[in-house]
Amino acid sequence: MTERKTRIVLILLGSIFMATFCLTPFAYMFITSFSESSDFLSSQDFHFSLDNYRSVLTVRSLHFLDYLRNSLIVSGISAFLCVLIAGLAAYAITRLALPGKVFIMFFVLAVSMFPQVSMVGYLFKFMAGIGWTDTYRSLIFPYIAWILPLSLWILVSYFAQIPRDLDKAALIDGATHLQILRKIILPIALPGFLSCFLLAFIFAFNEFIFALVLTTTHHARTIPVGIALFQGLHGETPWGNIMAAATITTIPVVILTVIFQRHIIQGLTRGAVKS
Amino acid sequence: MKSTFRELRESCNFLLPLIIFILVFIILPVLGTVVTSMFQDVTFLEREFLFLENYRRIFSDPAFGQSFRFTFLFVAVSVPLEICLGLMFALLLNEQLPFRGALRAFVLIPWAIPAAISGRIWELIYNYHYGLANFLFVKLGISAEPINWLGSGLGAFFSLVVSDVWKTSPFVAIILLAGLQAIPRELYEQGQVDGANLLQRFYRITLPLLKPVLVVALLFRTIDALRIFDLIYVLTHGGPGGATNSLSLYAYRYYLGGDFGYGSAVSTILFIVAFSLSVLYVKLSRFSSVVK
Repeated sequence: MTERKTRIVLILLGSIFMATFCLTPFAYMFITSFSESSDFLSSQDFHFSLDNYRSVLTVRSLHFLDYLRNSLIVSGISAFLCVLIAGLAAYAITRLALPGKVFIMFFVLAVSMFPQVSMVGYLFKFMAGIGWTDTYRSLIFPYIAWILPLSLWILVSYFAQIPRDLDKAALIDGATHLQILRKIILPIALPGFLSCFLLAFIFAFNEFIFALVLTTTHHARTIPVGIALFQGLHGETPWGNIMAAATITTIPVVILTVIFQRHIIQGLTRGAVKS
Repeated sequence: MKSTFRELRESCNFLLPLIIFILVFIILPVLGTVVTSMFQDVTFLEREFLFLENYRRIFSDPAFGQSFRFTFLFVAVSVPLEICLGLMFALLLNEQLPFRGALRAFVLIPWAIPAAISGRIWELIYNYHYGLANFLFVKLGISAEPINWLGSGLGAFFSLVVSDVWKTSPFVAIILLAGLQAIPRELYEQGQVDGANLLQRFYRITLPLLKPVLVVALLFRTIDALRIFDLIYVLTHGGPGGATNSLSLYAYRYYLGGDFGYGSAVSTILFIVAFSLSVLYVKLSRFSSVVK
């Protein structure tokens, strides 16, 4: 029975380490955001205060709410369109006669691994050329293209599991492919669409380098870039404000992750290792 | 015959939006970058065809050598750590734990939030005067004096590695967990009957069966770590003295300075390295069964 005991002890210690390792930085962020001054560890002097939240939410020149709104709009639209486009493509790949399906999937997988820096310089000139710099469009279009490979892989793996008898019957009854996709595939593969949307949203929300280069002001700048470039009114690093902004931004993400963890995990594993 | 032709046309319509997006916003920019890399393309200067002159400049630039070495060293140190820690997390999450759902969610959190934001949290953790790292190190007696994490080359390197491992091990864990769940339980039961202990079962059953998934995770992480940008941009800005200037950051600096030709050439080199690895990845992942 000693092996059983060792096993339990190992699992217990491991789990404690795992939870501590993953959560400590968040706890630190959370506590600092409520502290009057961010040097409370060295001064041993913690005073609870909501000032950081007050200034982040009310001082207009910090543009925190602008960045947050931009991020939500850009990520929401990108994720939605991405699911739509990937849904159509996944239908063609799993259901229609098409030569070179394997090549398309290969190609898309390779594309998803291109380094972003090898696109961003050209995209900057391209967007400046058509006058799109610092608009939502300049982010939404590249984001869709950049997240499509992952979305396609997720949806193809879900669609492939749906038996074909259903749509064959519908075809005989005279339904078009678009109708089959909407009326038969969509309801059955709804969890797949949900995983796909969530992952696409998270990827767009977290994207950094495109947003850094293609936006210049609070009109389109997203929250990761906003927080990375966050400066105090007097040039110092306003840690308290940054941590309050980080907390407001991450809490919704954390809640979403906790609620939808099953969907996110399924999407990730299907997108990355499906054989 | 006619119906297959119609179906072909229809499938093209279904695929068209995807193809257009990828061609216009990914393939075209990449090709444009490759073309630009052969030109003098500097703001306020005449555009001029140089062929490989930018590449010659790159290979004689010691800053590029430093950036190249840093990037590969970073990959070589952080990716194996991520795989080990990810494997450990995956093994734990595969057990019948009391709070398995909560633990899974905890593990996902570092992965789910923007790297730029976690970069700022780690920046505060590494703060010399009042950061958590020095507080713990001095309190626990690991170091007598506070450590200048981000101010020395070695310190900055390991600070980045730790932050990156924190951020990406969860991803590895989730991928490996899927692999673990595919291993039939009977194999372990059989192993137990045959008298194999915990460690033997791990080496004889888990590792060999997990190998394909491990390879996929390894390559995926390698490609991703090669292009690291946001964490470094926030945490060290490539410093101190260019010690942590990753290839992506190095190229970005040239874009920022208006030298698109040179920046594009650096990006093209990074692209070629990443692309070769992704071809390997595609060859190794046996995925055609999904498509059929």
